[in-house]
Amino acid sequence: MLTAKQIIETLRTRFDKQILGAEEKVSNQVFVRVVPDALIPVICFLNQCFSPRFLINAGTDVVQQDGKYVVSYIFSFDSEKIFLCIQVGLDSADPDIESITPIIAGANWSERETRDLVGISAKNHPDPRRLILADDWPEGVYPLRKDFPYDYRPPSEPQNKVPLKKPPEGTKVIPIGPFYPVLEEPAYFKLFVDGETIVDCDYRGFYSHRGIEKYGDSKLTYNQICFIAERICGICGFIHSTCYCEAVERAAGIEVPLRARYIRTIMLELERIHSHLLWLGIAAHIIGFDTLLMQSWRIREPVMWLCEKISGNRKTYGMNLIGGVRRDIPAEIHDEIVRVIEKIERETVEVIDAVVGDTSLHARLKNVGILKEAVARSICTVGPTVRGSGISIDSRVDHPYAAYKFVDFEVAVETGCDIWARTLVRLKETIEAVKIIKRCLLEMPDGPIMGEVMEEIPSGREAICCVEAPRGEAIHYVLTGQDNRPYRWRVRAPTYANLQCVPYIIKGERIADVPIIIGSLDPCYSCTERMAVVDVKTGQQKIYTKEEIIKR
Amino acid sequence: MFISKLKQALICLKAGRVTLAYPYKPSPPPEGFRGKVKVDIDKCIGCAGCANVCPPGAIEVTDFDEGWRRIQFHLTRCISCGRCEEVCPEEAVKLTDEFELSTNTKEDLTVTIEVYMDTCQRCTRCFKPKHPLDKMMVTGFRQ
Repeated sequence: MLTAKQIIETLRTRFDKQILGAEEKVSNQVFVRVVPDALIPVICFLNQCFSPRFLINAGTDVVQQDGKYVVSYIFSFDSEKIFLCIQVGLDSADPDIESITPIIAGANWSERETRDLVGISAKNHPDPRRLILADDWPEGVYPLRKDFPYDYRPPSEPQNKVPLKKPPEGTKVIPIGPFYPVLEEPAYFKLFVDGETIVDCDYRGFYSHRGIEKYGDSKLTYNQICFIAERICGICGFIHSTCYCEAVERAAGIEVPLRARYIRTIMLELERIHSHLLWLGIAAHIIGFDTLLMQSWRIREPVMWLCEKISGNRKTYGMNLIGGVRRDIPAEIHDEIVRVIEKIERETVEVIDAVVGDTSLHARLKNVGILKEAVARSICTVGPTVRGSGISIDSRVDHPYAAYKFVDFEVAVETGCDIWARTLVRLKETIEAVKIIKRCLLEMPDGPIMGEVMEEIPSGREAICCVEAPRGEAIHYVLTGQDNRPYRWRVRAPTYANLQCVPYIIKGERIADVPIIIGSLDPCYSCTERMAVVDVKTGQQKIYTKEEIIKR
Repeated sequence: MFISKLKQALICLKAGRVTLAYPYKPSPPPEGFRGKVKVDIDKCIGCAGCANVCPPGAIEVTDFDEGWRRIQFHLTRCISCGRCEEVCPEEAVKLTDEFELSTNTKEDLTVTIEVYMDTCQRCTRCFKPKHPLDKMMVTGFRQ
């Protein structure tokens, strides 16, 4: 099997002087510094030889230290359990880099985000529109640069408009969102339709981008970020805080006690159970099957009470700190946990039994929203979405964290490629999560729950952590810094990767199926603030601006 | 299809009525719940360790008069993480099981205490008269 040393060796022999440095900074995490011109050849070479999976890229402003902007392209070698980070230093006067999106389609949003926030533009990008920043954000102001104060509010420039795609010839426009009854969270999809059939679509979101990364690396301290990271998502909060803590712990070399790692695993799996049951209810609600909504949420509720009992709150557990967890799971409560999750297992099996043969569900969910394996791979889709397409990617196995190294479990994979396959994957994972928790409770060793944390976490260290959220992989990249806070903290939520495949999976489908197709990704996105109104008679489109809406 | 529907009906019938009577009957949270913060003014030494660790910055410390320090917990910002309770060297801060915080007056959502302290002759900042520095050193003022 390929090892980290072999990857470094191969790159060194092939590219020789173009490699400025290569080091395995953390166990199984290789950081390779290359000259900017060699980026595309290196990535092409990697794609040919090993075909690693692209995760994210992260732009970092280190102008004060060595006058450069650094872009880190993070790849994952799944079966080898290795992260590879290709880093390119760019001159601060001209921070441009060749785009890798033509080679890896999944890098599309990531490169646009780096341009928006750090000001490193990708040359020859196929879709160089603004992605993250608000429409009225002035050009040339990059919030993640270090010379940008975290509380600075630049003046509004309302004339800046992000151009939306022109509808193809002969199609009509149907807006879905920003506020649409079945998709609880606001997002704006602009569908181009020919009759009932969807030809293409455009997406605009990120309107309530909260700038958590900036706040984290300029105001908060290491231990404060754990709690703010937990609030990135309302459902998979504990996943983000675990992911952040593990990334810092790996970077600083902090040893987490085994018991704390088991507790993290238990909480993560409890979160998976309630998230999947929540999704099942919402998906059923979208297709108008409210019986299932009521029942799956009824089954889910005892998990929330259980979490409240363990952690002191239903949803935001607040258990993680750098080095361990804050609350123990005492032996007295073990029986109750087992009782509750066994009941959930029993009831979930009953529900599965009752719905798998339901032909009215098959009619709505089978052969709808097809995500082919090749597309899923090129867009770098993650989580149950991709496991429903027959690809076995699961970071619990691929990049073990917490106590997953010690727990065996089955990765649920389905080959249907449709919504039904994704549903089955999630249901199987719910059952599997129950087994994992029971196993953890049995094997959990005694001992401390908080490890030894050094007085000051040394600066300049970096690490990546990848945690399997119910929706897919959450990825956190941390570069440690001075003043008890990270220098750069990059977060990627799973929906970021999954939402990019929407144009592919709704192509050729009918309008009525769009909500459930988007819903089948278990999306989790931010608010938007603008609306499009289409005049049905003329097909003319008018976009109202913020000012006009306020005036009304 | 028909059998599936029967099974679904059976699940519904078996579940029965599950809605709780809350708010007509109280629904007390379990032990260890993290609710509204409560500060014991007799115990507080005004070290501001809680304000230092608070993740959302919900605790405001002002030295408003000679020798007086005001500590305000803004519950509108509070995320009930309980870090203040954890780091308090005097166990003056406690999270209660009170969770019904909705109110018509915003002032209800601020817990204010005022502690009398001595003023440092050099930096004019407040400090607790009886061996406060020792206490800070011992119990990890900066955490």
